[in-house]
Amino acid sequence: MNRRSLLQGLSFSMLAAKLSGASSLYGQAEGPQAAPSRRIAANDRVNIGFIGPGSRGQELLRQLLRTPGVEIAAQCDVYEPRFAEVNEMVGKKVPAHKDYREMLQRKDIDAIFIATPPVFHATYAIAAMKSGRPVYCEKTIGFTQEDCANVVDAVRKTGQIFQVGHQMRYASWIVESVNRVHKGDIGEPTHVYGYWHRNDNWRREAPNPSLEHLMNWRLYRESSGGLLEELGSHHIDIANWVFGEYPQTILGASSIAVYHDGRTVGDNVQAVLGYSKGRRMFFSSITDNGLMADQIWIYGTEGSLQITLEDATFYKQTSKTITEASHSDVVQEGVETGASFNADSAMPYRGPGYRLQAKPGEDATRTACGSFVECARNKRQPFANVDVGFGSAIACSTGRQAVYEERAMKIPAIHV
Amino acid sequence: MDTITLNPAAQLYRTTHPAMGTEYSLYLYAPSREQAAAIARPVFEEVDRIDGLLSNYRPGSELSRINREAFQHDVTTDPETFYFLVTCMAWSERSRGAFDISVGKLMKVWKFFGASGAFPSPEELAAARADVGWEKIRLDRGQRTVRFLAAGIELDPGGVGKGYAVDRAVRILRAKQAPAALLSAGSSTIYALGAPPGEAGWKVRVPSPHPEGGTISTVILRDTSLSTANLSEKNFVHDGHFYGAIMDPRTLRPVEGMAQATAISPSATDSDALSNALFVSRPEDRALLLDGRQQDCALVVREKQCGQEKQFAAEYEAIRWPAEVANGQLAALANAKEKVKL
Repeated sequence: MNRRSLLQGLSFSMLAAKLSGASSLYGQAEGPQAAPSRRIAANDRVNIGFIGPGSRGQELLRQLLRTPGVEIAAQCDVYEPRFAEVNEMVGKKVPAHKDYREMLQRKDIDAIFIATPPVFHATYAIAAMKSGRPVYCEKTIGFTQEDCANVVDAVRKTGQIFQVGHQMRYASWIVESVNRVHKGDIGEPTHVYGYWHRNDNWRREAPNPSLEHLMNWRLYRESSGGLLEELGSHHIDIANWVFGEYPQTILGASSIAVYHDGRTVGDNVQAVLGYSKGRRMFFSSITDNGLMADQIWIYGTEGSLQITLEDATFYKQTSKTITEASHSDVVQEGVETGASFNADSAMPYRGPGYRLQAKPGEDATRTACGSFVECARNKRQPFANVDVGFGSAIACSTGRQAVYEERAMKIPAIHV
Repeated sequence: MDTITLNPAAQLYRTTHPAMGTEYSLYLYAPSREQAAAIARPVFEEVDRIDGLLSNYRPGSELSRINREAFQHDVTTDPETFYFLVTCMAWSERSRGAFDISVGKLMKVWKFFGASGAFPSPEELAAARADVGWEKIRLDRGQRTVRFLAAGIELDPGGVGKGYAVDRAVRILRAKQAPAALLSAGSSTIYALGAPPGEAGWKVRVPSPHPEGGTISTVILRDTSLSTANLSEKNFVHDGHFYGAIMDPRTLRPVEGMAQATAISPSATDSDALSNALFVSRPEDRALLLDGRQQDCALVVREKQCGQEKQFAAEYEAIRWPAEVANGQLAALANAKEKVKL
């Protein structure tokens, strides 16, 4: 298998075989699953079918269990030990399926959550929408450029509700911050710098060596876009939101600096994304030092905004010299002398910044899950819709090659 | 286009720039906003340079380096910083210690450093005595070195730094041949260069220390500076006493009984230092401060308690002051002490 075939997208069955060593589970066909679901009435319980309750999936599930009117009706995974974990979390036995098609055949499921490795997202999401169900799909919506376009196409054709797991779009302080940026609070935003630094090897314990690729799918190029996709996609989405468009180019680099353990994706990544008018997004992820943690800086011509997972702080440029026409009263009336200390600028060099007074935010994933259930009930497309999902996914699917080959690439505008 | 001459097309422009914990303003006549900005830029670059030299809020400043090291060893400094310190020492000597840049520790003990003040504990105050005093600073002209004789000495340029920055900035304005300009360091030090077209000079109003008291005197300045010391911006009340951020280094306490001191001098460094020295000095020492300085003038407003408790009156003392003083405005201070924040 050469690099080109890797990057342009492996077939679903090849990947399934690689990851699970059990291709028969998935078979070859991925045609529409004709199982039209019931209509959800406004006060009905929403029955959820959950595909991929692994580590991220279980976090989603936990937040979903905090959403009123929700029933976990089905679970689906290729790794059987997950079923018991889900049953314990849900507090009852949730009917389990090893094949997603079997689950989609059921008539009592209203909406589908997908939290599998991203290589499967497009396949499962498209099948779920074709089966008549709203879909909440973890990012990124597709692994290949083609996947990304296909998911958008399926939403258009089926008219289904589709939400991507960019939960930062549901964090109250981030929503308010970005609104303020759009209103001009920091002038014209020109640069978005995203940092996602941590100090852990990103490795999961595999119960036995044959499960290494299944447990550690994030570490291998066949199944993972690495740190750019898994972490950077969230920050790229914020940049897309701030700039109001998709990126046009991506320049990437990565290496293995610390964890020489057989992984084939970098343990650090850097990417520069180009937007119109010369605007830039920079993303950095390292995994052996947690300084900076997860934060996004938005730099504008008149100020800056720092977004963390807990809060947002605006910084106004303090050293601004302004020349403007003066009223001639100064000559007629004179100027007044007095004490010069001004408490507002006691420390102009490193001012404290203005902390956004947003309502204390609940967990953004909780809000995102709740919002999706509402959208599914009311047949509304969510805020983090398929267009949002496409923007980060197309950048990451293109960026994978840019990062591996350390070059700049054009991001196709195959979806407008 | 670096220089301008006054012509009928020239308009007045104002450039503001944050520096030294306040906002500087430069009023300047120029044919266009762009040309006004082009003159203002190097002026404020110079102000920022002085800030970087003298700021005790910036660890990287030369003054901060001296503060850190001068007790351990002789610190060789550049000529500009050295002669700035020489000027400060001269004012300390002339004012018999009323003016003293070694009050850094006192400002911290009284929580005026980066804050608006609070009463210190007796222990803090007692400990500060060893850490204050201009005579504990040794300057060696031959070696151009600074040495502190006490471990806790901290220089605070608050009473003179803005004046020095204004002087340096005015040099730039002169080099650019700006014919008429007014430079204000947040209103506490003002330099008047030349005069607006058709005017004898730039008008500067000295307000009553009472916030509603209006102007007590208006002076017209040309090629000279004016500085004011008062307590209106940093102060606190403790046990019914009002304390402001101007320290008497000899008592280790904020000065009481003074409302305002304004000084005029051709050098902004001197008017800044002089206004603070006047504020701190005992009445009998004030006139001495201006002895032999024929171009310097002063207007001092002090308050005194009179009659019953909490009845106050203000009175002024003018030394060669070149304008009328509206005494009536000062009367407004009487009985008003309680509701004003001087």
